Amino acid sequence: MTWAYVADTGVFVRCGGPGGEKYRRLRSAVRGAGASLLVPRRVYLELGGSDEPYPSSESPWQAGIDDGWIVVADELEYANPLVSGIMDAARRFIANETGRPEDRIEKADTALVGLTAQLLDDGDAERVVLLTTDKPAGRAAETLVPEYGFPDQIEYRYVSEAYLERLTAAEFSAC
Amino acid sequence: MSRSETPLGTPPIERLRTLVALLENPMLARIYVRLLRSDGATVSDLVTELDVPQGTAYDYVGDLEEAGLVRKTRNERPYEFTAEPISLTLTTDGETRTITAELVDAVGRRETDADVDRYLERHGVDGLATALEYAHEYVDGTVNHRIMARELDLSPLEAEVVLQALEPVVLQHRDDE
Repeated sequence: MTWAYVADTGVFVRCGGPGGEKYRRLRSAVRGAGASLLVPRRVYLELGGSDEPYPSSESPWQAGIDDGWIVVADELEYANPLVSGIMDAARRFIANETGRPEDRIEKADTALVGLTAQLLDDGDAERVVLLTTDKPAGRAAETLVPEYGFPDQIEYRYVSEAYLERLTAAEFSAC
Repeated sequence: MSRSETPLGTPPIERLRTLVALLENPMLARIYVRLLRSDGATVSDLVTELDVPQGTAYDYVGDLEEAGLVRKTRNERPYEFTAEPISLTLTTDGETRTITAELVDAVGRRETDADVDRYLERHGVDGLATALEYAHEYVDGTVNHRIMARELDLSPLEAEVVLQALEPVVLQHRDDE
């Protein structure tokens, strides 16, 4: 069964600097399992990336992209009604969870959910594991992806300090 | 205008002087927070744990005691001390801000956490207090870094960095309650 691992901005922030133990542990867990982390384009831009490689040797996630275990995902297919539909639903869900007006929630907030649905709909993955520190988006994915026809195919893992400290390849072993 | 709880009867304006110092002096802040978490710690405990010179530790504990923010829990040598929780609400031009032990803790971490230090440099103590309010919501899962970034006009990356830096402060003070 093909699993995809989608990672959010907060995962890389939580890893700290390039020499840090947490970054090394994440890299070793992902590579040890022969997996890779997919980042939505919105996340890539948040981290400071662009279509050109981000010119910074300080940035550990960029090294991960260069090494191939962090992969920038394809553009979201907004023309796919499933993708745009679940993103709209995610916007409403996140607005509700956070007590904000809907127009305050932008595509960046819903990109994780959109990418998850796209991967499942395109058949690129049979199951998606979402690694994030964004609890509203994580809950939106957990709630909405099954409602959109993919029961038991999404798992949201909250990336805390403790999660990264105990991380091993077993977390990514089902790719 | 201010409202403060003064359990030991120190005049509020005298106490204000030390409260302001707590927000300006990270080592003083760290000593206060360490004593707040203790039923009784000696000055030499502080010297060892916080790596503060002995003379400074004595002076700071003395200042905090004089302001009524710290009291002795053992009255013979070696003296032991504990801190009193604080809550001082200031209202200026209709805007209200409360100085709490949690905020003092956040400020004190600028010595040990480069992300807190950078945020304070860029946004000041009021900015840090606002970020702390978002950090509460972040821990509760009722906000994300992107919403904070838009509402405060920051980059999403800066918002996530400060939220993660303040998360342990929020969790620690919830444990204390």
